[in-house]
Amino acid sequence: MTDTREITLTVNGTEHTIDVEPRQLLVHAIREELDLTGTHIGCDTGNCGACTVLKDGKPIKSCLMFATQADGSELMTVEGMEDLPEAGDDLHPLQEGFREEHGLQCGYCTPGMIMSGKALLDENPDPNEEEIREAISGNLCRCTGYQNIVRSIEYAAEELEEGEIAAADGGVVTDADGSTITPAELTDEDGEFDCGVENCCGGPTTDREHDSVSGGERE
Amino acid sequence: MKPAQFETHEPNTVEEAVSLLESLDDRAILAGGQSMVPMLRFRLAVPETVIDINAIDGLDYLEEDDEWLRIGALARHADVEESDLVAEQYGSFADTAPLVADPQIRNRGTVAGAIAQADPKGDWGSVLLAHEGEIVAQGPDGERVIPAADFFLLPYDTTLDENELITEIRVPTPAPREGSAYHKLKRKVGDYAMAGSAARLVLDEDGRIETATIGLTAVDITNVRATDAEDHLEGERPGSEVFKRAGELAAEQSNPESDEHGDAGYKERMVNVLTQRALGDAAERAGLVKRRVSQ
Ligand SMILES: Cc1cc2nc3c(=O)[nH]c(=O)nc-3n(C[C@H](O)[C@H](O)[C@H](O)COP(=O)(O)OP(=O)(O)OC[C@H]3O[C@@H](n4cnc5c(N)ncnc54)[C@H](O)[C@@H]3O)c2cc1C
Ligand code: FES
Ligand code: FES
Repeated sequence: MTDTREITLTVNGTEHTIDVEPRQLLVHAIREELDLTGTHIGCDTGNCGACTVLKDGKPIKSCLMFATQADGSELMTVEGMEDLPEAGDDLHPLQEGFREEHGLQCGYCTPGMIMSGKALLDENPDPNEEEIREAISGNLCRCTGYQNIVRSIEYAAEELEEGEIAAADGGVVTDADGSTITPAELTDEDGEFDCGVENCCGGPTTDREHDSVSGGERE
Repeated sequence: MKPAQFETHEPNTVEEAVSLLESLDDRAILAGGQSMVPMLRFRLAVPETVIDINAIDGLDYLEEDDEWLRIGALARHADVEESDLVAEQYGSFADTAPLVADPQIRNRGTVAGAIAQADPKGDWGSVLLAHEGEIVAQGPDGERVIPAADFFLLPYDTTLDENELITEIRVPTPAPREGSAYHKLKRKVGDYAMAGSAARLVLDEDGRIETATIGLTAVDITNVRATDAEDHLEGERPGSEVFKRAGELAAEQSNPESDEHGDAGYKERMVNVLTQRALGDAAERAGLVKRRVSQ
């Protein structure tokens, strides 16, 4: 009886044109039509936040919206995190934070938590604990007790801030006093790149023997 | 569960939406969808057609003129939360927005949709009652203005005509020496209220209460005014003693039901406490009282 409709979604930077029924929820379109199963479904009521994605930069629950309503919009799902410039060759600092600070156990809530964390840090790069708790208040976790999730997001905020200082417009690092150092000055005799940041990404000359993006190292 | 099948229409103007309402039999309006989508999923609503109003231009405003704070039908809870105008002038609105649901839901859900939903546990209804606000609706015969006091009938039932679309929610701009506040008790962040109280006070030049209006959440079949408490306050000077009595009167007038979160007696005591707190903040914001009066 019902017709399908063609919609265009830009998901993690890639444009997709798909056919959906009017009743198809955005979360189902993301998981079933686009095969991006990082976005989870945890409840039938809009309570759990496992399905959180960013729509035009803002976090929304993709189970409380029809796919047709996202026609023409930009979406970001957890799969897009590792492609962000801040991720370098590895995981995004937020993803890394969840690994470093044990921000997950079963991992079911994690994609939603990461998306809510991302939305927060985009708006407020230096949040306090209360602000972090508020930002994830729409995301339920059955496992962790939240403490480590808060720490994971704090970890990411710190990493991103350091990255910012070291960031480079064109590889130029700003020193604490505001003076700039060019990449050449950071390269020691062996040609190794040292930006001075702890846990340095290794820079352009280092071999990529870091953790693989998908599996990562378990501690 | 997936919703049953339906067709969608996405009108671009209010007029188009109203003529769709008129011409289609079995249809539902979809705004933020934060209540409608769950209703469709649980098949509490099984309309043939969904009229999605999100494409209507120019309804997402939040603005003030000489007479009113005007909230367009597509202004989201988050728009109220982020508004400087609200933060400076409308205490109860500034208190309420961050207490509605959670950040994701506030990014989609609308104030008008929450009013239309008429959930007795909804927060905006009591705030609208306390501000003696109005609902502006567009129907086949033109515009109609419904005072908040005449709007809520039963849980999820209002005096809105089935062919009418709410275009605006509005409240009068504050008088000199006016202050308002909202206090809500919830089990955890993001939950609906177990009880809530919105209070607005207007003081006269002598610092006496000229107008007192109080709206209560989740303690009756609809959002309600606590009229006995209002009557008690008018003409008095703001202070702990009068607020205490007002809290008691609000509790006596409320009709909460016992549920898994608390029995009726507990909720009545909470109405008392929340009302005193809201009155204290409202008085402080009205500018003549230095400190929060009660706590
Ligand atoms: C997990 C969760 C927690 C929540 N917690 C709270 C809370 O703490 N406090 C609170 O107040 N609310 C809460 N809500 C509800 C939320 O505020 C909704 O956003 C709101 O009730 C409905 O607004 P909406 O724009 O999403 O409307 P929709 O869901 O789109 O519509 C709701 C109803 O209003 C009708 N409608 C919508 N717009 C119009 C219009 N312009 N004209 C005529 N009819 C219209 C629809 O047809 C429908 O019947 C919660 C919701 C969820 C899912
Ligand atoms: S699946 Fe969307 S909120 Fe739970
Ligand atoms: S880690 Fe299991 S639900 Fe959060």
